[in-house]
This record gives sequence, structure tokens and C-alpha cells, in this order.
Amino acid sequence: MLAQQVVNGIVLGSIYALSALGFTLIFGAARLVNFAYGEILMLGAFFTLTLMSALGLPFFAALPAGMAATALLSVILFYLTIRPLTRKSYTSLQGELQVILVTLGLLYVLRESAFIIWGSAPRKIEMGISGIVMLGDVVLTRQRLVVILIMAIMVTALYLMLYRTRIGKALRAIAQNREGAAAIGLDGDRIIAFVFAVSGALACVAGSLLGTLYAVEPAMGGAPLLKAFVIVIFGGLGSVPGAIAGGLLLGLIETLAGAYISFAFKDIFTFLLLIAVLLLRPAGLFGRTR
Amino acid sequence: MNKLALPLFMIVMAALPQVVSEYQVYLLTLTVIWAIMALSMGLVLGYIGQINLGQIAFVAIAAYASTLLRLNFGLSFWLAAPIALAVVVGIAAIVGLITLRLRGPFFILVMLAFAEIVRLIIANWQEVTNGPLGLRGIAPPEPIFGVSFASKTAFYYLALVVLVVSLAALLRLVRSKTGRMLVAVREDEILAEFVGIPIMRQKVTGLCISAFVAGLGGILLGPFLTILAPSQFTLFASVDMIVMVVVGGVGTLAGPIIGAAFLTYIPELLSFANHFRPILMGVVLIVVTLFAPQGILGLLRGFKRTLAREARDGQ
Repeated sequence: MLAQQVVNGIVLGSIYALSALGFTLIFGAARLVNFAYGEILMLGAFFTLTLMSALGLPFFAALPAGMAATALLSVILFYLTIRPLTRKSYTSLQGELQVILVTLGLLYVLRESAFIIWGSAPRKIEMGISGIVMLGDVVLTRQRLVVILIMAIMVTALYLMLYRTRIGKALRAIAQNREGAAAIGLDGDRIIAFVFAVSGALACVAGSLLGTLYAVEPAMGGAPLLKAFVIVIFGGLGSVPGAIAGGLLLGLIETLAGAYISFAFKDIFTFLLLIAVLLLRPAGLFGRTR
Repeated sequence: MNKLALPLFMIVMAALPQVVSEYQVYLLTLTVIWAIMALSMGLVLGYIGQINLGQIAFVAIAAYASTLLRLNFGLSFWLAAPIALAVVVGIAAIVGLITLRLRGPFFILVMLAFAEIVRLIIANWQEVTNGPLGLRGIAPPEPIFGVSFASKTAFYYLALVVLVVSLAALLRLVRSKTGRMLVAVREDEILAEFVGIPIMRQKVTGLCISAFVAGLGGILLGPFLTILAPSQFTLFASVDMIVMVVVGGVGTLAGPIIGAAFLTYIPELLSFANHFRPILMGVVLIVVTLFAPQGILGLLRGFKRTLAREARDGQ
């Protein structure tokens, strides 16, 4: 029973980690809190779903196409709404507040657009993988195994990108010191646009996986956004390993608290834990105090 | 706001129900209650220099506390309301002591988490709050000093009095020592501390004042809508307040009122589709932030300046 709950928690945590990664990357590189992130995730799931139903593509072909489309959308939204503000400054309070306001505005617009385009009925994404795997007493559907696998692939790809490519190096430079990076000739806007693309692609994967386990609907973005907040605070805003560990931890906590304490109050439990973490370690479990 | 504006505003708002239909009175009351809540958000923005995505939690606590005291303990509105307000201010002080230490995005995210906790408790504590179905059939305030609040117009006047009294009190606060210290803390925390202002205490005071005003909106909400449900108190209600402040003009007392009127009436004019209200909110928020960060008041001031310049150039 406990082992089963732990495995369930890891599956849920994998999706949480993926959702948090895209969110934390943007914060890390640009110091932006993106409130529209949950809606990007929702739209990513709808892109995958629509590619599957309109073109009859299988899940594993539709997903990369959906990722590309979501990345593109994310970059367009960055250039249209966020870049005009960041020309002044990212880091001043005024600029930070304005970005939050604009992304909150985007949240409304994107969610309601999805309502108008796709309607509010929940739909499921069929991954096309059936059957179960037995690990001792633990029952795991193959589909859930694939979820963990996809998470692992995405994390590996992200690490390779961050630590083995020039753009990854540039991105880390920007995250560390914006002025310094600009002084050695890095184009901040283009690198941040690239971060938005990566973040959009990750959001699409997280949204589509949520769609295979639960449902795709216009209101689905709210919960992952809140989870992403909790996770990045657990793990430290802007920290990539923090987001992965925080995501898995949150998945485990939620599953175990739901099973052993109270299902109805499991979310309250996470938020209380979040506040406790902030009080003890304001920079997060993995974050460094700046 | 100049000296004449507040009395003039009072006279116009007091005269309106005499000449308009009952539905218009409903809209006016809605505007006034939103204005009170937006005012409370304006205080957070103006005095703490932050947005508070958990502001609606203060409204929810006041609304539920006052209504539950009336329904379960048979208290009159006039006794339940002050108790509810005291509860809200107490909670705000505790929450403030915890969260106001945090900077920038951390404050925003934790206040959001706080509001979610409040909403989840309301939604899940079935025995007391009746869960997602909410509390229904909330009566208008009992008559007091021979004045009955059973009619829509009478309730409107009650809400208006609350708004005007809050405005007058806040006008005094802005000019008081506390108000100036709050501004000093917002502008430069280190300098404020250096000249001997206890910043933590000032910030907590600011949040408590703001929670009190939000609570005023909350106690009116139950009798006005006659039902309370957790779905009314989501993140989006806090965002609505922010939109009103930003649209009206940040850092002014008139701004939230102008914003509340603007955002109550614009969807009325465009009432052909329900889906357009949230989109409109979103578009307005984006456009105002990008192109008119000073809000409607800022635009008016700019317009006045342009007129003055043209008049001068014309001579």
C-alpha cells in the first residue's frame, strides 16, 4: 500500500516537476513571474489534442508538433506584451509589478479564448499505450511509466541544453548577472525569448501529460500554476534542480497526505507546508540567499 | 483629490437613486462595494508598494464571519459586523507579521497561498460553511435607529455611507504621521529605518488598515448578494480589484472608485456575451499597463496639461 502510494506520488510529481521547470526557467533568467504560465500549459495540451483529432496523428507525433506550436506562441506573447515593459528594467519593483499585471491580463485572455474556441467540456488525450506492469505488489499502468520516462528525457535534454550548448551558457550568464552579460555582448532579449520558447515547450509536455491522466479543459491551467508556485518556493525560485526535487516532493506529499491524512484537506496541507518552508528558509530548500 | 471633489461626489451619488431604475440602483450598489474593495487594494499598492493576490481572503473572512454569526448565533448585523472586522484585522496582523518579511515575488506568492488556504477551508468545512453550495438567504441588515434597510435603495445608501466614511478617514490618514511614515517605508526601506521608523510595524499597520477596508466590503457583500459561496472568492476576485486600481490610477484615492465604476459599467454596455467580461478585464489590464500606467486619472491629467499648453501657445 505504501509502496503503491509512493509510485503514484512519483508519477504525479514528474508532471509537477515538468510544469515547474518552465516557470522557474523564466524566473531564473529574467526575474519574471509569469502568471500566464498555467494558460500556456493548457493551450499546449489543446494543441496536442487538436493535432491528434484534426490530423489523426498519434500522441508521440502530435506532442513534438504541439511543443513547437506552444513554444512559438510563448515567444510571440513575450515580444508582444512583456518585452515592451522590460526595455525599461526587469528588476525595479515597478517593472516587476507591471510584468505581473500584464501576465495576469494574459491569463484572462488566453483562458477565455480557449473557452470560446474549444468549449468547456473536459476531453482526454489517448496516449495509445495500454497494459500494466507489476513491480512486486505495485501495480503501474504502462502509460504512467511513460510519463516518468518522458519527464526523465525532458530533464536530461534540458540539462544538456543548459550545460553543453553555447546558448545554455549564455542563458546561465544572463541569469547570474544581466549587466555583466550585456557588457560582454550577449543579446538579453533574444536569450530571454529563447527561454520563453523552452518554457512553452515544457509547458506543452506537462499539459499534454496531465491531459492523458486527467482531462484537457480551459480551466485546467489554474492548478498547475499554483503547484508551480509552491514547487519553486520549495526548491528556490529560479533553481532547476530545485524545481525537479520540489515537484517530486510535492507529488509525494500530496499523494501520501491524501491517502493517510485527509483527501479534502490535502491542498491546504501543501500550502501550510509552503508557508513553513518560507519562514524557515526564505530562499527555498535549494536556493541561495541573494 | 481637491477639497470640493469629495462633497460633490457624495451629493451626486446620493441623488442618483432618486432618478434611476431599481436595476440601476443594484449596479450602483455593486459599484460602491467594488470601490470599497478596490480602495483596500489601492492601499496595499500605495502603502506597501506590492500587489496582494490574497486580498480577497480578507473580504471572504469578513463576509463569512459576519454572516455565520448572524445565522448561527442570532446576532444582529450591527453586532456581527464589528466582530467580523476585528477578526479580519487580527488575522491580517498575524499574516502580515509572517509574510511582510518576504520580498517581491515571495510576498505575492505567499499571500496567494494564504487566500487559497482560506478558500479551501471555506469550501471543505461543510458543517459550518455548507461547502461549495454556500450560505443562502442572507437577510438585509436589521433596522437600526428606526431606519430599515430592507429596500434596495436604503441598502445602497448604507454602502455609500461606508465608502464615504472610509474615504474621509483615508484622506486624513494620508496626511497623518502614520501615512507619511508608510510612504517613507515604501519609497526607501533602508533610509526609513535609518531615520528611526519601525518598518515592520508600519508595514503590518498598513496591511491591517487595508484588511479593515476589505472587511468593510466583505460585511456588505452577504446582505447585498443574499448568498455567499467559495467560488466568489478566487484569485480572480483579487485580480479584479487590481485591475480597478490600475485602470483608475495607482497611488490615488479616487483611482479605485473610478476603476470600479468603469469596470462595472463597461461589461453592462457589452452585455451581449458573458465570455467577453473576463477577456475585457484581461485586455484592459494589458493595455493600461503597457500604454497608460497612470490609469484614467493619469490620462485626464495629461489631457488637462495638453489643453493648458495649447491655450498658452494660442495666446
